[in-house]
Amino acid sequence: MSRSLLCTLLVCAAGAVQAQPGPILIGEVAPLTGPAATVGTRLNKASKMWADDINAKGGINGRKIELVTCNDEARPEKAVACVRDMQEKGAVMVFGNSLTASLRAMQPLVKQGPLLLIPSPNVVPPADSYAFQVSPSDLHLTEAIAKYMKESGLNKIGMVAATDASGEVGVESAKKVFGDQKMELRLARIDLRATDASTQLANVAGQDIKLVYSSYTGAGAVTVVKSFKILGLPQPLMVSYGNMSEAFVSLIKDVAPPRLLGTSVIALVPEHLSNAGERERAQAFLDAYAKRYSEKPDMINLLGKAEVDVAEAVLRKVPNPADAAAAKKFLESTPVESIQNQRFSPTNHVGLDASSVMIVELKDGNWIKAQPIR
Amino acid sequence: MNLLTQAVISGLMIGAVYAFLGIGLVLVYRTARILNLAHGESFAITGVAAAMLAKSGLPLGAALALAILIAVAFALSLHRFVLRPRAEWPAGTLILITLGAAFVVRGMLILVGGTDPVSFPALFSGAPLRIAGGVIPPQGIALVLLGFGGSTAVAVYLEMTRSGKQLLAAAENPYAAELLGVNVERARLTAYGIGALLGALAGALLIPLIAVDFQSGLAMTLRGFIAAAISGMSPIGVVFSGLGLGLFESWVGAYLGALYQDPVMFGLLIAVALWQSRHIRFGGTRRA
Repeated sequence: MSRSLLCTLLVCAAGAVQAQPGPILIGEVAPLTGPAATVGTRLNKASKMWADDINAKGGINGRKIELVTCNDEARPEKAVACVRDMQEKGAVMVFGNSLTASLRAMQPLVKQGPLLLIPSPNVVPPADSYAFQVSPSDLHLTEAIAKYMKESGLNKIGMVAATDASGEVGVESAKKVFGDQKMELRLARIDLRATDASTQLANVAGQDIKLVYSSYTGAGAVTVVKSFKILGLPQPLMVSYGNMSEAFVSLIKDVAPPRLLGTSVIALVPEHLSNAGERERAQAFLDAYAKRYSEKPDMINLLGKAEVDVAEAVLRKVPNPADAAAAKKFLESTPVESIQNQRFSPTNHVGLDASSVMIVELKDGNWIKAQPIR
Repeated sequence: MNLLTQAVISGLMIGAVYAFLGIGLVLVYRTARILNLAHGESFAITGVAAAMLAKSGLPLGAALALAILIAVAFALSLHRFVLRPRAEWPAGTLILITLGAAFVVRGMLILVGGTDPVSFPALFSGAPLRIAGGVIPPQGIALVLLGFGGSTAVAVYLEMTRSGKQLLAAAENPYAAELLGVNVERARLTAYGIGALLGALAGALLIPLIAVDFQSGLAMTLRGFIAAAISGMSPIGVVFSGLGLGLFESWVGAYLGALYQDPVMFGLLIAVALWQSRHIRFGGTRRA
């Protein structure tokens, strides 16, 4: 009698275990070490924060998030191995939190899914793919610079761009946008190992040039700012998107030129978002991030937030998120609420555009909306 | 602004870095017969440590002194505790060990300092010097003077003094050198120490003009290696190859564009290597 009762209990327990839904596997490819670690670790912090928050609230539809992060060191061959591994493990989607070369290498692997979400502005995914970009593209950023130049009555710009893949994207965008708008582009390239940018700046910052743009990110961007200061150039200097961080500001605060400008999503200065929902979400994220990590969130963290918002929308609203075709169709037809709402379509897999970009200026250690150059 | 003058100034500053790092590599190679691929780590350690110590409130001078001490201690420990006990191992294996040590330092720097670039204020501040349409900051002047001055002093010491020649003899024939009373172990330890000190000084002088992060070490080793290889591992030669490379790199960047820098620089390195090896037959023997 007691044996049959025990058997019944065991069968019931086994049934209960079977009914427990497994976690949702999300893959993340990010350079946690190597030359781009500063990008990878920032995006990873936003992903981790999201996964922990979801899991603390009991998961999505009763399923916890299992975030598996693979360190590609920004090396394309490692990124490919990471994606293959995640596909074998059954990842529902992959966060492509690496740099241009890695992202380009990853894209062919997801031709049949899963979804690949990309926060980099440098890789524009084709609309027939399963890749979606949650950032404005580099072309959009350059369009925003051109618009700012028009507002300032300028038609010439000096530009310093790195010799790597990201620099190449920046140069292509600049040639297209400034060329289309009949603006003069004076360009100098700088090697990634450069210890001085004075000759590049001497090349592009003539007296007739009223704005200099450096598309460089990281330690190289600091070299450009310091050389700019040493040369005593009077023009405003604009730095790129990836430099809108506390780390960058703390490095250049004592050597900043008279006006230091930057390209940014508007959410970095949430009070300038006209949509109340976006403003609220952006501010909530900035506060939560600062509380969790005891550091000021930056542009890259914000893009990480946009990425996890898109992921969460898919996980919550697509009945079977593992069905990549259904997830793709959902994203192409449904705007996603985020710090700046993402709008994809069957012909466009870039969620933001030039109108989501703002030219900002560093004032007293904070980024504010930049006034035109007078 | 005059582009040519600025290119010369920039070239002198870049050349000083090449010379600073190249002479350290040559010194260790000519004394211990090892190409120390962790040589540039003394630059990175000095930069990250000085930035962190200065940020913690230590006066800049003290922070730099302590950081340089840590960098030199690392190089001495690498020799004393890692390479010396394996002195009989093949040279190729020892070189790989130094590469491994460089990666260990990278990891340590990430753990201690994080992945973001860091910097610290210039030791020599003040208004930049404007000369013939070019601009150089006081820290840049110090870099040029100490870079070429320091590397020339080491080269002269090695080539023209008795104790310098003893250092070189320790590598040419360590057993004969010992029989003649040269303390080979001390000579090698001295070489690692001076080499690291030069790398650390390069960091102390250059980093305020740029920024440094955990991965800067190997890039600096590569710079030193190019200068050292072009000079044929010659102590005097590396000062001139450093100067030439700096000016060449700057002019290529200014007049041809940075995209041409790597092909031109490495093309030059290959051409020099072929020229230097013109007497070597296949199999290693020398042509008459």
